[in-house]
Amino acid sequence: MSELNKKADFLESVLKAKSVEKYALSVRESEKQELNTEGDAFKLMRTVFGGGAGVTVFAAGRKGTASGNDLSEEGLTALVESALAAAESAPDDPAHDIAPDQGVHTFTQGAVKADFDTFFDRLEELQADIAAEYPCVHVMEMVADHTAGHTIYRNSNGTQADSVSGWYDVTTEFSAGDGEKNTGLEYAFQRLDSLEGKLIDLGDFRRKFDAIQRQIDPAPLSGKFEGTTVFTPGCLLDFIGMTLDNYAGSGVVLDGTSLWLDKVGEKVADERITIGFDPFDSRIVCGERLTGDGYLSEPVNVIENGVLKAHMLSLYAANKTGRPVMKSSCSDLIMKPGTESLEDILAGIEKGLLIGGFSGGQPGTNGEFSGVAKNSFLIEHGRVTCAVTETMINGNLGDMLQHVRGISKETDDSGVFSLPYLAVDGIVISGK
Amino acid sequence: MLNDILRPQTALFEGGFQTVLRGHENRNRRVVLLKGNLTANSRSEARGVSARVGKDGLYGFASAAEYSPEAAARVLQAAKENALLLDRHAKVRTPMPPALAQEMIPLNREIADAEQKRIIEVCKALDDYVAKTYPDLLSRTIVYTEDSQDRIVYASDACSGHVTSPRCYVYVMMTMQAEDGTPVELFKALGGSGCFDDRFSDLTQYYPQIEDLYKKVKDKTHGVHAEAGLKQVVLGGMMGGMLAHEAVGHTVEADLVMGGSVAGPNLGKRVASDLVTLVDFAHTYNGAPAPLPVFLDDEGVKAEDAVLIKDGILTGYMNNRETAEKYGQRPAGNARAWTYADEPLIRMRNTCILPGSNTLEELIASVDDGYYLVDSRNGQADLTGEFMFGVACGYEIKHGKLGRALLDTTVSGVAFDMLKTVDMVSDTVEWSSSGFCGKKQMIPVGMGGPCMRCKIMIGGR
Repeated sequence: MSELNKKADFLESVLKAKSVEKYALSVRESEKQELNTEGDAFKLMRTVFGGGAGVTVFAAGRKGTASGNDLSEEGLTALVESALAAAESAPDDPAHDIAPDQGVHTFTQGAVKADFDTFFDRLEELQADIAAEYPCVHVMEMVADHTAGHTIYRNSNGTQADSVSGWYDVTTEFSAGDGEKNTGLEYAFQRLDSLEGKLIDLGDFRRKFDAIQRQIDPAPLSGKFEGTTVFTPGCLLDFIGMTLDNYAGSGVVLDGTSLWLDKVGEKVADERITIGFDPFDSRIVCGERLTGDGYLSEPVNVIENGVLKAHMLSLYAANKTGRPVMKSSCSDLIMKPGTESLEDILAGIEKGLLIGGFSGGQPGTNGEFSGVAKNSFLIEHGRVTCAVTETMINGNLGDMLQHVRGISKETDDSGVFSLPYLAVDGIVISGK
Repeated sequence: MLNDILRPQTALFEGGFQTVLRGHENRNRRVVLLKGNLTANSRSEARGVSARVGKDGLYGFASAAEYSPEAAARVLQAAKENALLLDRHAKVRTPMPPALAQEMIPLNREIADAEQKRIIEVCKALDDYVAKTYPDLLSRTIVYTEDSQDRIVYASDACSGHVTSPRCYVYVMMTMQAEDGTPVELFKALGGSGCFDDRFSDLTQYYPQIEDLYKKVKDKTHGVHAEAGLKQVVLGGMMGGMLAHEAVGHTVEADLVMGGSVAGPNLGKRVASDLVTLVDFAHTYNGAPAPLPVFLDDEGVKAEDAVLIKDGILTGYMNNRETAEKYGQRPAGNARAWTYADEPLIRMRNTCILPGSNTLEELIASVDDGYYLVDSRNGQADLTGEFMFGVACGYEIKHGKLGRALLDTTVSGVAFDMLKTVDMVSDTVEWSSSGFCGKKQMIPVGMGGPCMRCKIMIGGR
């Protein structure tokens, strides 16, 4: 029996000794090896030995949660006492619950054992490729790590899950410069479970390095117009996140402020829009296997062919509102790609904006948004022309999904999401 | 509170390496009442030890989720091995920064822990008060959040000490239905540095702020969209603080200067009107504790103020020991880590534009057609100094008087251009300290500013 299993056994024995009849517990250990560069030079190497435990108790219908990283017997005992103290003064609310028995499962995913020699080689190769192919790109920092983790989950309904996983993450933070002209910052991220092939060929790396080079000499946009905005996958990630949280999240359904409160089964978006979460999709690295409520994760569509299929409800929100729970913690985002190429979509746009990033205020529950278009380009007469700066966009999240011009067949598969380009009409684009 | 088990482990520091050993505990408490429903009720502690070992400008770091002498010895060894491993792949080697005067920084304060029961009672009392006093709210949320750091730092060639940073807040969030049926909302953070009893023994002290929040969200139900374009505005103190942090502060963090920020070529040059002086305060402002006092950083540098802009001239950066040496400046204690598993990064502390001589009323009266932008929802900035703030609360100004409230909007600009348009500055500073700044790790920061009249791009329909 592993040491971690012994920790879980002990934690469970403390819960039983204190007569806690309903509970969920988890214990975990992890090791991360992380390389950091400063410019193109390795600067810092980190080893993080992690671990911890969490426990949720239900004492006479009252819920309390505690977490910590002291896995000694004293520490685990104190953890249970802390959770019980939290539960003691909580109101009795039967909506708090844990998932019914999901059985006993073992999950092993990804690259559990690091191949650090090859990783070093791949990172040096990436640095060389960037320098050779994108000479104006200045990598400010690269953070590359391998994480391996082991988590044991159990609850009083009988569910047990033993999960082992490992993956590599590569994050680059970069700008571009030519003489005294410098661009703003751009980021690129990729999660992977195999070191086969060049890193520069993965995800959105090449497009972002190319785009930032073309940002070196941007021009401020003049005037204001309503045009077509093409969201790159990375930028679209932010907008989809804001949209789903604002209209379909637990909080806005629970307090009744969601504008999609009674729209399940109704059309809320263009019929080409299908958005969901799929931890089993082959493009996702180490997808979720168990939700925070203790359900086995399932693929689920929030919007399917433009129709709202479900709210993203936690078990508590589901019980409280009498609606179905979502068996996903809403990671592993997938949007169904279109059938047109990006080039064909752009060719049909008379005037608009290709937007690489959005720096904006968090929209309120009405979905109104406004912010600065970052790393963006003007589209004129079907072509991407100049880079723009000091350009703002304004619109409404709900309206956006209904005014779709096109969805690209190309996608960015980052390992944690898969998203296409989305072209939307009716966004107000304004410059100085 | 951490016991000092690390001092004996300093005997393991090896000559020829610059070493920092840190014991570190983070504590969090959280309670959420959403329309009276308890949706979060949690407590967490994370404690561990880390070591950073440097040689020839290369650093190894290791941390363990365990606070013991054995763990300290283990991370010291692992950090050294990481530095040596890096040396095999090094393209550049540089001298380590020079040793600093060694001093033991005394414990600044103890951290007191409140029972979860009392925290929940206070949240319920506040929720009851809001529900009864303001029955026309569409929704209300009360969030209690508390985080604290307890750190013991030993540096081989700099200062050492035991320092704590507790803070706690109650967020009050209100949602009402606007005239068109859509929801509008605002929130206010109440509290500050210190522990539960320091801040929440008397709730009635917060009632005026809650009343002000209600008035503002009610005004917003009749709100209008701002008119897009370059406008003359009065930025409120909270917006001034956001400007100090996001638009300027990040560009003068020395690691971002090295990355090509606009501050690089502007050191010693005019970047703002002469009414603008910007300081990153360490622990004391105007003779009183700064919102989030920092006494010692995680490289062992004793914290002192960093003057960034003086009368409109860019005078310095925020540094770690290495960048301070590179730029010929004095390290001021800006290298901070959030958890035991984090390495120190260059971070702000209490970044503030200093007050001027006008009153807010004078600023508003001086604007013929513009906006008073009261409070921000969030903000971001770029290496170029191009910034964006979400504006959650604002009003029209017409002929020197406040008009209709604004719906959510966004302002943007380029910091060193926009700061040159500042031509009036109010005589009081407003601080906020409840937020986190994100830069690989989260870190609590304070930011403050006066009200300022300036020109800024505003987004609107």
